[in-house]
Formats: sequence, C-alpha cells, structure tokens
Amino acid sequence: MSAKAKSILRGIVVAAVVLYIAFLLGPIAGFDVPAIAASIQADPKQLIQFLIIGISNGAIIAIIALGYTMVYGIIELINFAHGDVYMIGVFTSLTVLSLTGTLNTNDPVKIILGLALALVVSIASCAMLNATIERLAYRRLRNAPRLAPLISAIGMSFIIENLGLIWASQSWLVPSFGTTGGASQKFFPDLLGTIFTVNGWKVNLFEYFGIPLRFTIKDLLVIVLAVILMVGLYLFVQRTRLGKAMRATAQNRDAAKMLGIDIDRVISATFLIGGGLAGAAGLMAGLYNNTAWWFMGFRAGLESFTAAVLGGIGNITGAMLGGFLIGLLASFSDGYLNARWTHAWVFATLVLVLLFRPSGLLGEQVGQKA
Amino acid sequence: MNENIKSGITFGLIGGLLTFLFGGWSVGVLGVLMGIGLGLALGPRFNPRDGWMSLAKQALPAAAASGAILLVLSLLQNYVIDPAIGQNFEDLDVVIPANLVGVVGGILFTCIVTALHGLSEEWERKGKIILLGLVILAFPFVDKFTELRWTAQIIFALIFVILGLGLNIVVGYAGLLDLGYAAFFAIGAYTTGILSSPQHNIFLNFWLVIWIAAGVGAIFGLILGAPTLPLRGDYLAIVTLGFGEIVPVLFRNLIDVTIKEPLTCWILPLFKIQTACITFMSHEDLTAGEKGINPVGRPILPIIKLNEAMGIELVIKIAVLLVALALITFLYIRIWRNGNRKVGSVASYAAIVAAILIVFLPIPRTRVAVFDNVLGIIQPGEFQSDNPIPWYFLIIAIILLSIFLINRLRESRLGRAWMAIREDELAAAQMGIDPVRTKLLAFAMGATFSGFAGAFYAAYIRGIFPSVFDFSASIIILCCVILGGIGNINGVIVGGLALMTADRLFLPALKDFLKGLLDHTVLPALSSNPTLQAAVGQNANPILYRFLLFGLTLVIMMSVRPEGLVPSAQRRMELHAGEESGGTPVAAK
Repeated sequence: MSAKAKSILRGIVVAAVVLYIAFLLGPIAGFDVPAIAASIQADPKQLIQFLIIGISNGAIIAIIALGYTMVYGIIELINFAHGDVYMIGVFTSLTVLSLTGTLNTNDPVKIILGLALALVVSIASCAMLNATIERLAYRRLRNAPRLAPLISAIGMSFIIENLGLIWASQSWLVPSFGTTGGASQKFFPDLLGTIFTVNGWKVNLFEYFGIPLRFTIKDLLVIVLAVILMVGLYLFVQRTRLGKAMRATAQNRDAAKMLGIDIDRVISATFLIGGGLAGAAGLMAGLYNNTAWWFMGFRAGLESFTAAVLGGIGNITGAMLGGFLIGLLASFSDGYLNARWTHAWVFATLVLVLLFRPSGLLGEQVGQKA
Repeated sequence: MNENIKSGITFGLIGGLLTFLFGGWSVGVLGVLMGIGLGLALGPRFNPRDGWMSLAKQALPAAAASGAILLVLSLLQNYVIDPAIGQNFEDLDVVIPANLVGVVGGILFTCIVTALHGLSEEWERKGKIILLGLVILAFPFVDKFTELRWTAQIIFALIFVILGLGLNIVVGYAGLLDLGYAAFFAIGAYTTGILSSPQHNIFLNFWLVIWIAAGVGAIFGLILGAPTLPLRGDYLAIVTLGFGEIVPVLFRNLIDVTIKEPLTCWILPLFKIQTACITFMSHEDLTAGEKGINPVGRPILPIIKLNEAMGIELVIKIAVLLVALALITFLYIRIWRNGNRKVGSVASYAAIVAAILIVFLPIPRTRVAVFDNVLGIIQPGEFQSDNPIPWYFLIIAIILLSIFLINRLRESRLGRAWMAIREDELAAAQMGIDPVRTKLLAFAMGATFSGFAGAFYAAYIRGIFPSVFDFSASIIILCCVILGGIGNINGVIVGGLALMTADRLFLPALKDFLKGLLDHTVLPALSSNPTLQAAVGQNANPILYRFLLFGLTLVIMMSVRPEGLVPSAQRRMELHAGEESGGTPVAAK
C-alpha cells in the first residue's frame, strides 16, 4: 500500500472515531443528530428563519469584531475591554433616549430624531472611552512584555463592567432601571416596533409579500447599518491617508515611525474608530435584542473575539465573515441544539480555531507571532 | 521630621482608620498587627551591628508616635464616629483594655520586631518564624475572645492564597498565562461534592476525598493543558480562558445526561436493521445545575469535640498533637541520618502514616471510650459551620503543606526547567529540556493545589454552585498573584491575603460603616433634595465596587509596579541591573 493511501486510510479511521465520539457524547451538549434531523424535517422553514436571526446577530458581532481585529492588527493586543465598551454603548444610548424623552413618546419623528442623537452620542462616547482606555492602560506598556498589556486590558474590562453595574442601578437617570439594583437585566424598549405599530404598518416585512417567515424592520435596520459601517470602514482603511498610515503601522511599527508617521496618533485613531463601531453596535444590539445588562459585554466580547480569530485576526474582511459565521453558529445552536450550550459551542469553536488554524480563514500566518 | 517617625505616623494612621470600620476590640488586634508591620518596615533601616537593645531603643520614638496616633483615632472612633453612625459607644471595660493592648502591644511588637534585626542572621530568621507562628496560632483565639468574627473571612482569603500558590506555578514559574484557572478549582470542588454528598449517595471521608480531588485536578490539568502546548503568549491565555468558561457551563448543564450508543440506537435502524439500543445513562442528574450540590460532607477529626465551645482545651489538644509530630520528625531525622537509611525511612514513614491514621480517621463511637480512657482528651467531632477555628487550622495546615511541596518543586530539576522554559523556550529545548513534559507538569502541578482548595472550599461552604467558578474567579486569583509578586511564594501569600481581606473584610465593614453614617448623618442633611438623597443612598455601597478593586489592582500594578508588592529576589536584581530588560514578571514572549 502506498504511503498516500495509508495516510488517507488513517484519515478516514480518525474521522470515523471522531464522528463516533461526537455522536456518542454530542447529545449531552444538544448535538443529537436524529433529533435535529427530525426537527428540520418537521419544519424546514425554520432553517431559513434561524438563518435570518443568525445574520442579524452576526452583523452586530461582526461590527464589534472589527474593533478587536483593528487593534490586534496594529498593536497585537487583545483589547479585552472592547466588549465592555460595547456594553457602555448600550447604556449610553438607553440613557440618551431616556433623557430626551424618546422612551415615552409615540411620535415617529421624535423617535427617529432621538435614535439619531443616541447613535451620535453613543458612537462619540464609546470612541472617547476606548481611546482613553488606550491612553491610560496600554500606552505605557507598549514596550513591555506581551502579556502585561493583556493583563492590563483584563483589569480595564473589570473596571468598565463595574461602571456598567453602577450605571444600571441609576434609576434617576433612566426610570425603567427600577430599584432592584444594577445586577439584573434591564429592558431596552422596542422603539422601532413602536414606530411601526403606531402607524399601523406591519412590523414583519415579509407579511407584505406573504412569506411565512419573520423578517422584521429590526433585522433590516441592523443588517443595513452593519453593511454601511463595514463598507465605510473598508473604504476608509484602503483609501484615506490615515487608513494607509494604519496599514503601515500594522505592517512594521518602527519602519512606519521612520517614515514620519505619528504612531501614537495612529493608534489612538484606531482605538477611536473601534470604540465608535462598538458604540454603534451597542445601539443596534439594544434595539434588536431589547436588553441592557452590565455583563453583556463579556459574552459579546468573547463571541466577537472568536469571530475575529475565526476570520483571521488583523483582517477586516475576515472579521466580517467571522462575525456572520459565529452569528449563524449561535443561532443554529440556540434553535437546534440547546440554548444553554451555545456559550460552550462558541468557546469550543474558539479553542478549535486557535489550535488548528490560528491564522483563521482569511488571515496570514499571524498565529506564528503569537 | 525624621523618616522613622513618619513611618510610625503612617502605620498609626492606617491602623487607626481601620478601627473606624470595626470598632470595639479591633484596636487591640490592629495595634499589634500595626506594630509588627512597623517593626518590619523599620528594622532594615538601622545598623544591625548596634545590637538588639540599641535597635529597640532607636525604634521607640516611631513606635510611640504610631501608638499615640492609634490611641487618638481609636478614641475619636469611639466617641465621635460611633454616635455619627448610630451606634452606642463601647463601655469603658472594653475601651480601656482594648486601647491598652493596642497601644502597648503595638509599641512592644514594634520594638521586638525591630530588635530582631540586631540578631545574627540565623536567629533573625528563627525569631521571625516564631513570631509569625505565634500570630498564626493565636489569631483565631484572639478573634474569638474579641468577638470580631474575622476568622471565617480570613479562611476565604486563605483559600485564595492556596489557589494563588497553584496558579503561581503555572504563571510565575512556567510563564504560561492561565486565564481559566478557576476551572481546576471547580473540578476540585465538584469532585469533592460528587464523592461526598447525597447527590449520588456517595459519602467518602473528607480526608480521602481531598487527595482524590487533588489527583483529579492534576489529571484535568494534563487534559486541558495538552491542547494548549503548541500555543504561546496571548493565544495560550485565550484558550485557557475558553476552557475556563466551558468547564462551568458543563457543571451548570450536566443535569439531564443521556448517553446512548449511536450505532445500535439510530445508525443501524436507519438501514432497517433492528437492534437493541444500548443505553449507558438515561436522564441522569450529575451536577445538580444551578441548584448546586449540597450538603457536602465535612471533615471529621477525633480531637475536636462535637458541639462544644473551643478554648484552652483545644490549645492543649493541638499542643499534644504537635509534640507527637515533633517527636516523629525528630526520630525520623535521627534514624535517617545515623542508621540504616532504608529501614529508617520505611519505619519513619510507617510511623507518620500510623500517626495520621490515628489522628484523622473517624473512629466508631464504641472505640471512643478506649481513647477517652487512654488519653482522656480524644473524641470524634465533625467540623461545624459555626466554629471556624478547626477550619482555620486545617487550611493553615494545607497551606504549610503546599508551601513545603512548592518549595521542593521549585528547587527540583523540574522547577528549574519551568523557569528555563519561561525565560526562553527555544534555548531551554536546546539544552535538553523537554518542553512538552515540562509544560504539562506545570499545568498538572498547578491544578493539584487548586484541587486541595476546591475540596476544602466545598466542605467549608457545604455546597457548590457553578456561578462561583466563572471568569471573575480566575481573574481574582490572577490578581492575588500579580499584586503580591509573580513567581514568589511570599508575595503570593501577601497579595492573596491583602486583596481577599480587602474584599471579604474591609468592603463589608466599610459598607456597614457608610450605611450607618448615611442613615444617621448624611441622608437627614440631604432631605431637602429627595433625588440626590436616593442617589447617594443607593450608590454608597462599597460592595458594588468590588470589581473596580480587582480591575484597578491589575491596571495599576501592570503600569506602576509590574514586579508586585513583594518581588522575588531575582526580579529585584533584574530591575536593579537595568531597565532595558523590562523586568516585568510575565516574561513569556
């Protein structure tokens, strides 16, 4: 038998053993093939429904992942606090909506104006916050051993989570927070739904076409906004002078410095843009999922970090792809496996990608640097 | 002003301000602790050649200054602060002895500790160990007498000290940043829970389970460490974080486990072949999910009496036990050194095992009478929740054992291999160190100690809940290691104690203090503005800010003092040698 045939045979045996173990132990974590097959057979439309949900959630994850991937691309740091900046974005928009009285109105014009203001404020404050984090916690450590900034980033993440916890208990700021303290999940009002129902429009856009699925105005808005932001970012990085400076810094910081690029400014700008994207994602996620929670940044952060790694960290297109893939994984896992195991499946993906293809789907061999 | 007096005033202020939080007898305890701290700070400043008497005299002014500050603040606390937070002030029969003990004890201990520096190096070391031993031994009894109720919280701090010591092996010695260390803590705790609770109707003895937990921890250290071997730096950290998140999810969700053999159950039936479906497990609840496993079995120790107040009697019992152990050790050393080594060591090991069996194994009640007749002091007893003293000594014993083992490990070939890997993996591999084996053993050894901690924790709390072991627990352990000083046992102990006492003791006390102050002084003054009043009342709860405490610790330590509060000698030397090496403890690249 030739060596090639041998290796193929070995591959088949390994695959069979892995599959057998997956089928044997998978059902514990919801991976129950007969049950999944049965539920797909029973209602095939659901598959498309989960696809829609996955894409919408994936769009939000992708936008957060962009922040991770840009920062990693430039200073090779996992900005652990990034997910929590996104959480601050949710709370900022909720607070702006509350202070402007948008939460208590049914007037579509007022709601749209309020949302626009919330988007601007959220983007601005998250961008500032992210740049401040860089200034306070990472800049000093730029020449320190690599793990020092990571530890500092984890510390920053804790600080911001604590900020969110305190914020979520300020019922004088947002009355709907109630008096139960900051630890519980808070409601983020469904403003887009309100606009539609008040005017007698159908919230589910597919109803106009008679398609028996749900594709709401929220899905549409999230996807459209995400695509606009991603394309805008892509053009910015590829076409503008600052974008070029960013790419130069990412390739070789010292060489970029020699060519007269102000490294500190470029890095600050990267953090500003990443934070701004997280702020936008915050408002979108609040409107889409209708919850605000001080701990939501941790999970979203890890999901989007997984997305960034899956797509190839440092690669902007990869982060978008990874975001949509992770969104789909989470949505299918919620739907067909079991929602309580989704967290573990996402992490398992992260671990598997890092172990077997640390460069990601579209990335170059950055894994070797790690 | 003289530098020493300044230190004295600083220590006096720290001690005095802490009395604001606790009141009552705390001034006595804090005074003595403050004295020891001040002595340690002053000692190295004096010239040891002056002799110990002279040193004690030189320390006197600073000690007196700290004592005076302490006295003033303590009296202020009693007569001004207490009424402001709505408490009656203490009676004179507490105030006078407590302040006397605090001030006189503080001055005395400052002088004693300073004087130790005037002794020869060997005696200085011995003196410090004796002093430390006395403080550790006396603490729970003093705590009980003064009714401060600190011991139960200190035990939590000590659990984190063990966890920190274990994590220190992985992060400090081997340089592998592990962000999911709480997973091993969880594995230790759940092993204990499953093996000694009604969950599966298995009731093993705690003294056995703690070793099983350590062993299971080590095995999982290998299992979870193996996949991370090809990774370095932050990717390694993230993968360990992933494992650290997956493990609690498993424990949370293994509540309805069905394992069916797939071939017979649905692959063959797919091809219309009828077979009997082999089912290994059907709807088993392994971990009780969010409900948690409880009650977990507690340790039983013959020398502790059931439901009886502790006191002098326990001191005598422990003293007898210590004397017996000392005798065994002495015999061991004697025989091992002078006689036939093989026979000697076997004999002494047998003696130690016999002693442990006699002391630790539960004795059926019928045989108790015999023991009573022979020694008159031994009775079986289960550790109780309302009496932290046995728990305290148990965890001190575990810590001492851990320190001993870790010290031995560090100086062994393996320990040196860890540090070589940390400094430069490639070079170490070239020198013949097997990186795979070395790293795996680092994970396994680190996990062993968290197995101890997990077993103790499960038994102490009597219940295990998955939410305890999430990401924040991993980071809190990391915080303890980083605050104290990566790679240094003393540093980790100091860091763990400082951080966890701050978390467990000072924040709750501060909360009560602020609440009292607000309710009786501040809020009535704000009654004109109800919104502000509500906002102030709601947010003035320090417990809400505990994540801030840990986060700030990490950020500040990393940028200001990355080597930790008590850096290891090697780090200190590296830092003095030059800044270009960075000297940051996490040297993994």
